[in-house]
Amino acid sequence: MSSRNHAQWTAPPKLSKGEWVDSRIYTDQAIFEEELDKIWKKSWIPVCHESELKNAYDFRTVTVAREPVIVVRGKDMKVRSFLNVCPHRGNMIERRPSGSFREGSPSGTPRHMTCMFHAWQFDMKGRCTYISRQEEGYQDRLKKEDVGLRELRTEVYFGGFVWVNLDDNNPMTVEDWAAGSLDCLRSSLDEEPLEIFHYHKAIIPCNYKLWHDTNCEFYHDFLHYHNRITGFNDAYFARKNSGFNNGHINVGSFEVQYDKYQGFHSRETLSFPHLPPNHWYMVDMFPGVNFNLRGSALRCDLMTPLGPDKVLIEFRGLGLASDTPEERQTRVQHHNSIWGPFGRNLHEDLLAVTAQGACMHPAAENRHILHARHENETIHDENGMRHYYEEWGRWLDRSPSNPDHAFEAYQIPDPASEGQRASA
Amino acid sequence: MSANNTSNNVVIVEQIKSLIYKTCLNQDDLNWGDWLDSCDDGFEYAIRSYSPEISADMTYLSGNREHMRSLVDMLPKHNSDHSPLKRHCTVYDVQVAEDGRSATATTSLAVYQTLLDGINSHVDAGSSHLFLVGRYNDRFSISDGQVKFAEREVRLLNRRLDKGSHYPI
Ligand code: FES
Ligand SMILES: [Fe+2]
Repeated sequence: MSSRNHAQWTAPPKLSKGEWVDSRIYTDQAIFEEELDKIWKKSWIPVCHESELKNAYDFRTVTVAREPVIVVRGKDMKVRSFLNVCPHRGNMIERRPSGSFREGSPSGTPRHMTCMFHAWQFDMKGRCTYISRQEEGYQDRLKKEDVGLRELRTEVYFGGFVWVNLDDNNPMTVEDWAAGSLDCLRSSLDEEPLEIFHYHKAIIPCNYKLWHDTNCEFYHDFLHYHNRITGFNDAYFARKNSGFNNGHINVGSFEVQYDKYQGFHSRETLSFPHLPPNHWYMVDMFPGVNFNLRGSALRCDLMTPLGPDKVLIEFRGLGLASDTPEERQTRVQHHNSIWGPFGRNLHEDLLAVTAQGACMHPAAENRHILHARHENETIHDENGMRHYYEEWGRWLDRSPSNPDHAFEAYQIPDPASEGQRASA
Repeated sequence: MSANNTSNNVVIVEQIKSLIYKTCLNQDDLNWGDWLDSCDDGFEYAIRSYSPEISADMTYLSGNREHMRSLVDMLPKHNSDHSPLKRHCTVYDVQVAEDGRSATATTSLAVYQTLLDGINSHVDAGSSHLFLVGRYNDRFSISDGQVKFAEREVRLLNRRLDKGSHYPI
């Protein structure tokens, strides 16, 4: 037991490969660019919820891997998405976060997306319907059919989330992509329509994976007084942390004792369909999505990486569309008391990753970040992060513990289960 | 209907303004007890914001007086950003009800945060930035010439709140 000098501090940990990562994966600009290209542009991302576009001609604008994207609901009520980029001179077509194309805009007519710059117009299927002074300028060299919008693969799936994929060539559906990781929540989310009631965002000076890691590991419940006092019992420590294909994980449920926290109460009466009272499931999807159902309220975090040391995190809260106003108010309070911007837990999580970010400046010396806990794949096991980084290494062909080296699959010994076998 | 010009109401209006300003000072100094003691038994508190992203009115925090009291009582058990907040406000309008038993006030609000332990204190501590922008929409009960908070809505414009805060606003 002693402190360490520089050589000892920088020496690789005496742990198996895969039980630690090099902090460069959280700081390096070149790795970051590669992640956008090889991972974020090829993954299914739930960019918003269908209740954000309830009516025909409603739209929502987002960004995926630096690409501006617009999600629109057509006259046929189908949700489609396009690059929010004009084929003429590359202007952003729609600047508002959300709205409706039912009304005309200063440069355009109703029921069309209009690029304000030179007034080209597009319908809800992405077809160009109008080019100003077309014949005068283009004669017959360029036609409307040549300049449709770039449509993106889009699915509404899993309780009404709108998923977008920038990669036309990935044959997977969202269901294939989820690889079973969402099954624990599907009956609760698909039973009846959901509705969004909460949105806020944070831009945090840390790498997006640090937020995802924090969502994947529950060992950090030591950070949260609320979770310690309402959790930490045998059922909590028995919660399973399971890996699925494509880098996703989920964390099994148990009954949270909300009334153990002063001023808080059971959430039993407003449980989501098919969810036992006060239960709590969590799904973390590769590369940076989280679904979190605590009894009465669903939270979804979506990460938009902005740089190796900067991430936009959007926090959504959802309830049942059938809620009465009183039910909704209670649901919202349940959500906010823990997960709102002034809630007990979210602030603590964001403080912790900000402090990690402050220790991982892009030019700082690289460090070893340990993901080495083994507890039979239960709640404080760090298998969730190990599972994620194995997938990450495969996609980038880089070793997470030595990112200049090619990825090699490795078998991580599981001392916890070996110990159990030995004592059995 | 209001009757702000009677001499009695002029006194009430001044009391209300003074209570709003004093509450800012109390909250800035983390004197939560003094604030909650100036609220009546049925007090309701909420932080709300309209989101043009999801086209919905949202509640970010809410509770009655006892809920708010237990929330601030529990703060020492929580890990928090302790960067102090300074509330700068101007009371724009006070309306006293005809019967003189209640009043409402609209107050413009800006909240500044001076970093202490939120990021890397060596680099960032001591720098101030605008944290929140909004309004207080307050309702008061008046009895025996005494004014108490009956309801406070903090109506924020912000939807980007970064690390957020454990402090009521
Ligand atoms: S850039 Fe869009 S119409 Fe010219
Ligand atoms: Fe947490």
